[in-house]
Amino acid sequence: MQALEQEIKKLVIETLNLEDIQPDDIDPAAPLFVEGLGLDSIDALELGLALQKTYGVVLASDSKENRRHFASVRALAGFVSAHRKS
Amino acid sequence: MMRRRVDRLGRIALQAAYRCQGSAPPCPVVFASRYGDVGRSVDLLDQLARSTPLSPTSFSMSVHNAIGALYSIARGDTSAYSAVAAGAETVEAAFVEACGLLSEGAPEVMVVVYDEPLPPPFQHFPAPATVPHAWACRLRASDGASGYSLTCHASTGAPDTPAEDALPEEFAVLRFLVSGAERFEHHVGPRLWRWQHHA
Repeated sequence: MQALEQEIKKLVIETLNLEDIQPDDIDPAAPLFVEGLGLDSIDALELGLALQKTYGVVLASDSKENRRHFASVRALAGFVSAHRKS
Repeated sequence: MMRRRVDRLGRIALQAAYRCQGSAPPCPVVFASRYGDVGRSVDLLDQLARSTPLSPTSFSMSVHNAIGALYSIARGDTSAYSAVAAGAETVEAAFVEACGLLSEGAPEVMVVVYDEPLPPPFQHFPAPATVPHAWACRLRASDGASGYSLTCHASTGAPDTPAEDALPEEFAVLRFLVSGAERFEHHVGPRLWRWQHHA
């Protein structure tokens, strides 16, 4: 799971073009949006697309569920490992 | 965190805007670009043609006023911002827009001009920029004693004098503004734009 967290951190940095941020700078338990890393709704869409392309996971349009999956890198890793197709 | 959203053209345009604005108070801004960030649109069209999902970030940044909007959001500035494109007369259109804002009472207006070479398959479009460039200036209404004027007349065709310098056409107005020259005439189709410096 730790390897997947590291992989997702890299995916976040590359997908969102986060300059000056290294994977180790991201706390896997910290919030990704608004606080913590400070991402916004466009980032959420971009990240959803990248997760879909990379792992074949499809995000439902249920916003409550998504809010939970996108809470942190750790939550994303849990979601990906449960639903990945590749 | 905003910088990650903009590519080269947006970066140079915003750098020019930030430097020109400095610590001056917020004012209306006219962003002017003949072709804008067309590379993004090409990427999006390419993704559509291949039936792959579009990048939401690219989509949100592909409109002509996206760079100006980012400048507004990043600075929390809600002044009047506009984005103009008017072919070979883009710079003139920007200054006309700025004069309109000044005549409506804005004490100062900033104009930001930016363009870059066109990506394939659009390189054959008329007069693309030869180099990525951006410049900005702040305009105030003249006190009457000195300043610049811009007027539009009917053109009977550009004079047949070969240009002696190698400066690309896209810099003609900028050169006039910084050179101290008295006059610059820009022929575009049936129109003649006359820039004059009143010292």
